[in-house]
Amino acid sequence: MRSALSSTVRWVLLYLLALGVVIGGWGGICALLVWVRGRPVLPTPGETFTAAWENLPVLAQAFGTSALRFLIALVVSFLLGLPLGLAIGFERRLDTFLSPLIYILYPMPPVALLLFLYLAFGLGEVVRLVVVVIALFFQVVVAAQGAAKYITPSHVAAVRSAGATRLQLYRHVVLPATLPNVLTAARVSVGLGITMLYIAETKLGVLLGPEAGLGRLIEYYTFRGDISLAGVVGLALLGLLFYALLELLERSLCRWKFVGAQRGR
Amino acid sequence: MIELAELSIAYGRGPSKVSAAEGLSLFVDSYELVAVVGPSGCGKTSVLMVLAGLLRPSQGQARIYGEEVRGIRRDVALILQDAGLLPWKTVWQNAELALRIQGQKDSRERVDEVLHQLGLTGFESRFPGELSEGMKRRVGIARALALQPRVLLMDEPMANLDSLTREHIQNLILTLWREMGFTGLLVTHDMEEAVFLGQRIAVFSPRPARVVEIVDNPGMGTVEYRGTPEFMAKVAHLREVLGGSS
Repeated sequence: MRSALSSTVRWVLLYLLALGVVIGGWGGICALLVWVRGRPVLPTPGETFTAAWENLPVLAQAFGTSALRFLIALVVSFLLGLPLGLAIGFERRLDTFLSPLIYILYPMPPVALLLFLYLAFGLGEVVRLVVVVIALFFQVVVAAQGAAKYITPSHVAAVRSAGATRLQLYRHVVLPATLPNVLTAARVSVGLGITMLYIAETKLGVLLGPEAGLGRLIEYYTFRGDISLAGVVGLALLGLLFYALLELLERSLCRWKFVGAQRGR
Repeated sequence: MIELAELSIAYGRGPSKVSAAEGLSLFVDSYELVAVVGPSGCGKTSVLMVLAGLLRPSQGQARIYGEEVRGIRRDVALILQDAGLLPWKTVWQNAELALRIQGQKDSRERVDEVLHQLGLTGFESRFPGELSEGMKRRVGIARALALQPRVLLMDEPMANLDSLTREHIQNLILTLWREMGFTGLLVTHDMEEAVFLGQRIAVFSPRPARVVEIVDNPGMGTVEYRGTPEFMAKVAHLREVLGGSS
């Protein structure tokens, strides 16, 4: 218990240190740009945080909207992508027929289809979600498929020899065996997801106010660099929040990965 | 009681067909413990898989207590080579797994009892990654025994263990067999292990497997048997038979 607490404290301290380095570097770049260009180009951390503080309600609302939107998109992508990916990876026949389909569609950026998505789903909330879901969905499918393909045969035999049904096989073996890889892939995909969220909120929300999401806030305050940059910081924090959430989820759902002799691996 | 009658097992079709066993017959009486030895890849494990209901023979029949094996049977348990423990389940959950899959409720006491018998009390909430190799194998045995099987199929349960741990688990299996009274079929590549644990030892030919010789081994049954001249002589005989057949 004590070691768990100390590792959490260490983790928080490391992130605070990283934050310090980022802010220091940011300040340095501001100064450098003033020196090179002869005028302020990038709002300093001080200016940005002051603007953030003065506009906290709208910023908080935009952050909340974006966070909720991203959470919904993440959950929907998991609910749709995980079963499909696991089934494609584990069932050889599905793999044969569906893998080519997935690999054709996977590299296609949903941003390139914005016009058609807009025509199909209108300019409401749904289309903003759809863009993020499409991006994350394929990430989850491909990660789950890859992990389910290489499940240790003796784990399957152990459960099958006890008379497990297909559903029990997925519940006791396929899902827990693949979860660590899927969660890692999800963590990696947070960056891509945030980019998609930004694009969806800027391109598909032109008539909305700044509280309709961080992307919209950044665009809305194009001519107020300090507030706009506060929105960018908000996006970074949003990414960090989800990264940490997925890390915590992995630590609680895949506790076995973090114990004993396997810890060092 | 296990009967293999003219059993043939084949993988694949056409030119890529591989025959794992051909016309193999073997009889194991109730409460008998029979060891199977044979060269690597001769089809020993495939025979166990047929008996466990995980593989269909291409010809012939496998019967357990007079009934043809057509799928998984509740009175048959299988111990896998590397114990087949699920790393995401604790020792207790692993030991309970087969019972849980079969929907057998009120299994808590039975699992606790088996874990106690195998010296695993106090380790119930550990994950396999925290255990030594010998302990993992014991959990694998616990999982099979929790089912209280009439027939216990063992696929090299002591493979890749250091000699001290191997002997310890061999002694344990011998004790459990005497106490619990199951019909056992033990596949091994270790001749000393076969002589220590087999009342009879079936020697398989290289692939496709068939029985080359059945060696009677009436002296087994005690820990002291290991190291006696009779034990040594049986091991030497097996070595000779296997050397000639491979």
